[in-house]
Amino acid sequence: MGSEKDDQHLEHSSAGNACRSLTVRGRTFRTGSLVLGGLALAGCSSMVAPKPTDPEALAEYQEANDKYEPLNRKMYDLSVTVDKYTTRPVAKAYVWAVPVPVRKSLGNMVQTMNEPVVFFNDVGAGKPRRAGDAFVRWCINMVAGVGGFIDVAKYAGYPHHDNDGGLTLATWGIASGPYLFLPMMGPSTFRDGIGYGLDQGLSPWNYVPRGYGLLTFNWAYNIMGVINTRANHLDDLDQVQRDALDPYATIRSAYQQQRKAMAEAIKNDHRATVPDWYN
Amino acid sequence: MKTRLTRRLLLGTVTTLGLMLSVAQPAAAAESASAFVHQLGDRLVAIVNSDLPAAQKKEKVLPILQQDVDVDAIGRFCLGRYWRVATPEQQAEYLKLFHQVLANAITDKLGDYRGVSFTIGGTTPKGEDQSVDAILHRPQQPDANMEWIVNESSGAPKVVDVIGEGASLRLTQRQDYASYIQRNGGQVSTLLTALQHQIERHSTATGN
Repeated sequence: MGSEKDDQHLEHSSAGNACRSLTVRGRTFRTGSLVLGGLALAGCSSMVAPKPTDPEALAEYQEANDKYEPLNRKMYDLSVTVDKYTTRPVAKAYVWAVPVPVRKSLGNMVQTMNEPVVFFNDVGAGKPRRAGDAFVRWCINMVAGVGGFIDVAKYAGYPHHDNDGGLTLATWGIASGPYLFLPMMGPSTFRDGIGYGLDQGLSPWNYVPRGYGLLTFNWAYNIMGVINTRANHLDDLDQVQRDALDPYATIRSAYQQQRKAMAEAIKNDHRATVPDWYN
Repeated sequence: MKTRLTRRLLLGTVTTLGLMLSVAQPAAAAESASAFVHQLGDRLVAIVNSDLPAAQKKEKVLPILQQDVDVDAIGRFCLGRYWRVATPEQQAEYLKLFHQVLANAITDKLGDYRGVSFTIGGTTPKGEDQSVDAILHRPQQPDANMEWIVNESSGAPKVVDVIGEGASLRLTQRQDYASYIQRNGGQVSTLLTALQHQIERHSTATGN
């Protein structure tokens, strides 16, 4: 809404949404970058930010939770530059060329195809109601939604919810560890990075036999996922770049707050397993 | 017997009343915070969804911002530990700039959200503040969860923070400013210059 608070909210949540989204999609390419980031981290002890001695500065340092800030900033700058010349123009062209309904369908498809990962994570987090919702969404959308292109489940009372390996680990009480900015993947933490690796293992698409049309599908799906996600956040990310004095710090803050809130929301979801109409 | 009963009755009544009041007070605060957010939201949505030109929408929103949002408190929070370091002149200058930056950020977006509506959810106390849940319904976009943080210490309820999908506006802003100051020599004056530039850039971009 154009109300003042909402705008403030949108502006800031958009930073968070954008960063969250950056971590959500992608497969091979991003696993590669995860490994790259890990190697870079291991190789650079000079990449650790010095711990301040002043108590207030120390509190700020701890709040930011960014031990590897010098390295992270390099990765951030690199990602922004690469994005400026590759993903962003592609996403802009996509938005310009493809009409909204088609983009929406493709977005639905990408989301539905990720539903198994959400399901396994819901199970892992010990939240049967959420797992049930994800399972039903997958079944309904794959059949009635013609392979996920139409989000029928939403209209049937099963709206999409997010979950991923990092959040599951968070519900197990595992701390996030230091903040990380992974090249081309976006904001993350040690825990969320590991969770991302787990998600790759949970995604059935990585077990599909190679060959036939499936390899093509996998590539198309991944590329689609990246473009679709970036396109959804064109305005948000542009705005952060324009309005924040230090976009890196803004994204870092929004991302970490949001992940914390998401994990809390999952932990506090004590809804009954039976659907609403049963009660 | 009679006096004892009366005294017991009296004491009992006083205690019960006291208890009821102490229970009722937070409930009343929650109710008024929720009502406040509701009517504030209604007014804003009415402006956003109206057919007025952008300039007029802006004109109508600004007084609401001054009246119902504690911009000074948000500004102080955002400057964090540097607020105490700043001289009184710097503090005044900063708040002046902060008002403009916030107003610009909000009025820029007025045009983008036609057709929105919202639902108010429950209210939970958060320290001295009341947190009012709301869901924002946007056309063509998924619903967004938000929390409006309302403080009544100044006598009238005022918004002191908005949390969108888990990220607090003022906390994110504070980390942005803190990081900027820290990386640019640790002086508040650098922040003031940067805000000044931001406002100038904005006025050249929008032509006003």
